[in-house]
Amino acid sequence: MAGPLEGIRVADFTWVWAGPTCTMQLAHMGAEVIRMESMRRVCTLRMLPPWPDGQPGVNRSGYFNQYNQGKRSIQLDISKPDGVEIAKQIVAMSDVAVENFASNVIDRLGLGYEELRKVKPDLIMISMSGYGRGGPESGYVSYGPAQVPLSGMSQLTGYAGWQPMHVGMSYGDPNAGLHAAFAVLSALFYRERTGRGQYIDMSQQESTMAVLGEGFMEYGMNGVQPPRNGNRVAHMAPHGVFMCAGEDRWLSIACANDNEWNALCGVMNRPELAADPRFRTHADRKANEDDLEAEIMSWTLLQDPLEATERLQAGGVAASPPLVNRELAEDPHLASRDFFVEKEHPEVGVRQHAGIPWRMSDTPCDVWRAAPVMGQDNDYVYGDLLGLSNGQLEDLKARQVIY
Amino acid sequence: MPERALDGLTIIEHNRTGAAAYAAKLMADLGAEVIKLEPPTGDPDRYLGPFPGGEPHAEKSGTFLYLNCNKQSVTLDITSDSGRQVLESLLRDADAVIHDVPPAEAERLGLGSRQLRAGKERLVTTTISPFGESGPHRDWKAYDLTTLSAGGWTWLNGWPGHPEMPPLRPFGRQSAYQAGVNAAVATMGALFARLRTGRGQHVEISAQECITAILEMTFAFWPYMNMPTARWGQRPIHPIDFFQCKDGGWIFVLCVEEHQWQRLVELMDTPEWTQWDVAANRFVRASNWDALRPFMEEWASQWTTDELYRAAQEKRIPFAPASTLAQLLDSEHLKARGFFVEVAYPEARRITQPGAPFKMSGAPWEIRTPAPALGQHNEAVLGERLGLSTAEIKSLHGAKVA
Repeated sequence: MAGPLEGIRVADFTWVWAGPTCTMQLAHMGAEVIRMESMRRVCTLRMLPPWPDGQPGVNRSGYFNQYNQGKRSIQLDISKPDGVEIAKQIVAMSDVAVENFASNVIDRLGLGYEELRKVKPDLIMISMSGYGRGGPESGYVSYGPAQVPLSGMSQLTGYAGWQPMHVGMSYGDPNAGLHAAFAVLSALFYRERTGRGQYIDMSQQESTMAVLGEGFMEYGMNGVQPPRNGNRVAHMAPHGVFMCAGEDRWLSIACANDNEWNALCGVMNRPELAADPRFRTHADRKANEDDLEAEIMSWTLLQDPLEATERLQAGGVAASPPLVNRELAEDPHLASRDFFVEKEHPEVGVRQHAGIPWRMSDTPCDVWRAAPVMGQDNDYVYGDLLGLSNGQLEDLKARQVIY
Repeated sequence: MPERALDGLTIIEHNRTGAAAYAAKLMADLGAEVIKLEPPTGDPDRYLGPFPGGEPHAEKSGTFLYLNCNKQSVTLDITSDSGRQVLESLLRDADAVIHDVPPAEAERLGLGSRQLRAGKERLVTTTISPFGESGPHRDWKAYDLTTLSAGGWTWLNGWPGHPEMPPLRPFGRQSAYQAGVNAAVATMGALFARLRTGRGQHVEISAQECITAILEMTFAFWPYMNMPTARWGQRPIHPIDFFQCKDGGWIFVLCVEEHQWQRLVELMDTPEWTQWDVAANRFVRASNWDALRPFMEEWASQWTTDELYRAAQEKRIPFAPASTLAQLLDSEHLKARGFFVEVAYPEARRITQPGAPFKMSGAPWEIRTPAPALGQHNEAVLGERLGLSTAEIKSLHGAKVA
């Protein structure tokens, strides 16, 4: 049995990170995802590092190749009228269309939902713009990094007493991509039962706020902006990332109750700390958290974080170093689960990519092919699917519709 | 014809970490009937807060309330024989069960996928755990912070130039949200497949992998260039930075594409430093950002946050303010889109909270009922649904099974 979306086709107008994250989930499930892209306006990710040997090239970006695994690519300039017509033919034989241009750009191109449903009445289409359709800021431009501050996440994240922080990645993008994949699957489920397609309007700002519920609830209950508080939280202590031996080496430790704290004291070989009145209960540990963290760091400063993690886990304490990319790539646990995907790619060879975070027992999900080089599937789509002749193809290339 | 996308689906949820609760919330808000099985002491999120006035109360935890609207609560001790029988009865009529009990404990409690699926060919079982159901770290203990570290996120977050400051968590239990949305995606995939095959299946989610799968371009720097990443990700292009404005607010300054930088230079009235070689393109600016940053800091400090945000967006430069929650709740844009919803919680007053993460034209997202009180639906579910008599329900209660 193939993936759950075997037989579903996706017309993929997406670029940068959010949209491609959505369509990659669908590809993981066996949908045939056809990226429409062109050299006229190359996807931002194709132009960003990392590149093997530091040499740029539209087919060489690890950033692009990570989030476009298992998709097809055709060259098609949708800013040209003939490009629009071909895009409509592809939509007509697809089930889903996904785009993440700024709001209304897809309408101006002549590929809005009202146009596309004429060629595919039960189409499911999702737009994933930064600000959503409608509202005074709907025309604003937005990229993933800006969604973190815009959504309120930056004001909530950071060290106590320091300025608002980023969160280290453009979190609004993949978060929107996953929520969009859920919306598309729900709409497919609905269509299968009713025969009806629909249009889905996603604002990345809003889908990011959906995962900040605790913050809004605190504001709603107590009228205060939750202060930035580093790695500390109200319900656990210790709860921090502690400096270890070596250069820039760290260990995160979290204890949810007295038993785990006592276990931590045991692993640290500091039984007297468990009996110390400053640290006996959760309330005590919160009241003396500076002291608590200083005591723990006096131990972690002498530890290798990977070794200490093994000992803490053996003692029943939640701990992990903040893994850096190399440690993830070499992590024996992730390797034993076959999490990473290594497929031959025509220009970058075999490289390691993060894979699929879920496993299905009956309809297994899979990356069938590495991310496509630009136009890798021109022959398949224009020839096999659309049935264009060689003459027509040459003409479209000469007029840079296929470009 | 069903009105909402997931009308008619019945999901059994058992939550420990927020991940199962968020997965089920996404489905409940689209119309699925979600029955939460809580231990007699309640879902742990009932004790998490935030609480009104900081006073703990099982019916007032903000985290619990947010994650559990549109659900029914049934208290059940699944470790007892009679509790198990009730669970079996519920599962026989359910489409999917979603829980986030760690694998070893799940097996002990009879919540392993084989145990749950025995004799129920159509049931989808979705289990979420920190490290998945196989591998040497399967039984490692984890909370959100350590899962985010094991997934590679905390390493990316922190303050460049301050190596003494630790890697930093983002706000909220983001590993739970990510495991939850991935679980919802995979569960829907399995339910969609079932429309064709008639068979359910088991789906397992690793929260660690959910994080490692979304590290932007930072993971790829190792396999592509043998480069370890630095905190605040790998910012290969600039400007990407925060500056404080004259009203005390913070603006996030961003130019991804070169044409955006050109328009920013115009907005700044083309100061001399923007013409230097060290500012020539987005990669060179990144290498020389320490030298360039003070110029832009000075310029930004002459604006209010809102003026600068609007002026940049007028020129189609993707700046954004670092919004406070009050500013978001007051945003004209979000009001016009009708994003926030007000929910009346019986014990915790009316709260304005985030609404739909996406708007479906043909199948509405909506909050129909506030989060349930502990065991609020015991009689409705055990009596009306399973047909137990009042006496039988009372005997379950008496035995502290429900």
